Amino acid sequence: MSEIAVAYIGMTHLGVNSAVAAAARGMQVTCFDPDEEVVEALNAGVPPVTEPQLEHFMRENEERLTFTADKASLRSADVAIVAPDVPTDDEGNSDLSGLKNLLALADTNLGPAIPLIVLSQVPPGFSRSLALESGRPFYCQVETLIFGQAVERALNPERIIFGAAAPDAPIHPSYQAFLNRFDCPLLPMRYESAELAKIAINCCLVSSISVANTLGELCEKIGADWSEIAPALKLDRRIGQYAYLSPGLGIAGGNLERDLNTVMRYASAYGTDAGAVEAWVRNSRYRRDWVLRLLHDQLLDYAPNPKIVVWGLAYKQDTHSTKNSPALALIDHLGAFGLSAYDPVVPVSAVLNRALEQKQSALDACEGADILIIMTPWEEFKDTAPADIKAHMAGSIIVDPYGVLDTNACTAQALQHFTLGRANV
Amino acid sequence: MLTHTFDSPQKLARVVLLGGSGFVGQAIEAALEKTNTPVKSFSSAELDLSAETAVDQLAGELHKNDRLVILSALTPDKGRDIATFMKNLKMIETVCAAVGKAPVQQIVYFSSDAVYPLGDSPVSEASAAAPADLYGAMHLARELMLKDTAGDKLVVLRPTLIYGADDSHNSYGPNRFRRLAAKEGKITIGGKGEETRDHVFVEDVAEIVTLVLGHGSTGVLNVATGSSVDFGALAHMVASLFGDGVEICPTERNMPVTHRHFDITATRKAFPEFQFASLEEGLRKAHKEFSDS
Repeated sequence: MSEIAVAYIGMTHLGVNSAVAAAARGMQVTCFDPDEEVVEALNAGVPPVTEPQLEHFMRENEERLTFTADKASLRSADVAIVAPDVPTDDEGNSDLSGLKNLLALADTNLGPAIPLIVLSQVPPGFSRSLALESGRPFYCQVETLIFGQAVERALNPERIIFGAAAPDAPIHPSYQAFLNRFDCPLLPMRYESAELAKIAINCCLVSSISVANTLGELCEKIGADWSEIAPALKLDRRIGQYAYLSPGLGIAGGNLERDLNTVMRYASAYGTDAGAVEAWVRNSRYRRDWVLRLLHDQLLDYAPNPKIVVWGLAYKQDTHSTKNSPALALIDHLGAFGLSAYDPVVPVSAVLNRALEQKQSALDACEGADILIIMTPWEEFKDTAPADIKAHMAGSIIVDPYGVLDTNACTAQALQHFTLGRANV
Repeated sequence: MLTHTFDSPQKLARVVLLGGSGFVGQAIEAALEKTNTPVKSFSSAELDLSAETAVDQLAGELHKNDRLVILSALTPDKGRDIATFMKNLKMIETVCAAVGKAPVQQIVYFSSDAVYPLGDSPVSEASAAAPADLYGAMHLARELMLKDTAGDKLVVLRPTLIYGADDSHNSYGPNRFRRLAAKEGKITIGGKGEETRDHVFVEDVAEIVTLVLGHGSTGVLNVATGSSVDFGALAHMVASLFGDGVEICPTERNMPVTHRHFDITATRKAFPEFQFASLEEGLRKAHKEFSDS
């Protein structure tokens, strides 16, 4: 099969980035979403999410991309991939109703025996329990989307993990042709293994983050510097250069929380031990309040009743998402102080319960501030000179959990620079 | 973790203190008087919660707009045995029956950080309550009895080690160290005093109570400063208040070293403008009151 027609169903973060990546891999892609407004925006070149390179690849591959809300368009697909984001609540519980509706829609509108793939994250047991049209091959493919790197990872996956009813059975030719477009190892396995593999990957990531957070806090107390230690770990083959070893302000974004929640729920149901996972969750909640503790324990002595500026509202850089954002959690508890905020993408209207003026730039927001808190490590902040910050601020305290700014450069401007994982002198 | 009924402190109709004649109760009464809050305080002599008639007596005293603060307890110096445990439960059984007859607006229960095991650091309100002795188990049982009775009208305070000039107990810490320094000119510590603990000044405890009452808070809050110090350093701090003549006397250690630290983020969130006195400041104030008395 030289030319395959792929249908992506559900144009949210996962769906639109994956579909555009498939087009960039040379496939003809029909992008279906039942929401006509979403489709209209996509046809105008406006994606529903912010991701680096997304609009570029949409433009570059526009001849291979068809955005539509017409169910009949699915009839001509050789393979269909259902990929809506699965929303979660504050506890990390998934709402699968939207996904199930789209799967039913696909099953009804695809041609007979056309393979159907779910790319959305589903809990263990989901795939095996699906009741689809007789004879329709079904696979669950593991997505490893990273906010802020979604297109790059969809275009160049490290490997593709997918679950099948019987992993030793031949793969449907259309799906095999789709997979062959990606130059990476293929890892077929049974449904349940694939569904758990994604969770296992995220648990490993969280365990690394938890190590960095736990030992980073100890560094802050005993005069060590975690940024000196982390490179040593990355050169250890058992840990690796890409390990998540930066201390942070807790897990956010929704996806990791969902997987931890799933492990705890399943462990409870099946009687297995999830004590380690519970500890990661506890550590994450604890670290989220690092800035608030620092503020009360150390900074208010220097700047009583301060005017505070918060840079960054998104839960991480290069995304519009504020799901479980540490910045918003912090702002909830800054009610007693003067406040301004700025994010390159997220408007200040994302701050509920407090009306803030929309500032035009990071430095504009700094005007007259006593304390600057950098809650999201956007590149734009990294490029801001400490001298310019100093010129706009009234005070001299910078709380920079992620070390966006260079401590020496701040010190040279007589700015006090507080960062995660290092004792403040 | 507290939830406030009122964003800003409200004027209170009346506060009823059970166990109000004690060290902490007197500090709370003084703090409430500063806010012109009417207070009705009962000592154990005035209202014996273990007496058969206590239910009706207490119910007869309570008004529907009252806020009830419960400090009454037989403290560890009165016994750590099963009989003391049962007497303490009986006292709260009385309170539960009384507020069942005469409901009040809010109940503040003075529990203890003894509901937490030692060694889990840092302790927060999310830490599992798993008491290691009958004293801690007693407080946890009382919390549950009151929760069952009062529901979301209950706020549980779990204070750590409280110090102040008027403390009548002689437990290991600032109060005993001050008495030893004054009486014997030396402070004897266990081992080299390696254990760390958090010590909270009684006036801060009273201030937290007034905030909890004023905001109509519900939930659980640890009352600790978030700053722990070892007993050796604490002994030196107390000794320094007496000049240079007080000797610190280490002893042979016969107990394992344990530590306790608190994460007080929940207090920061509940009362962002409240600041605890530093240990140095609190000890100085307590020492002055102690010396003046």
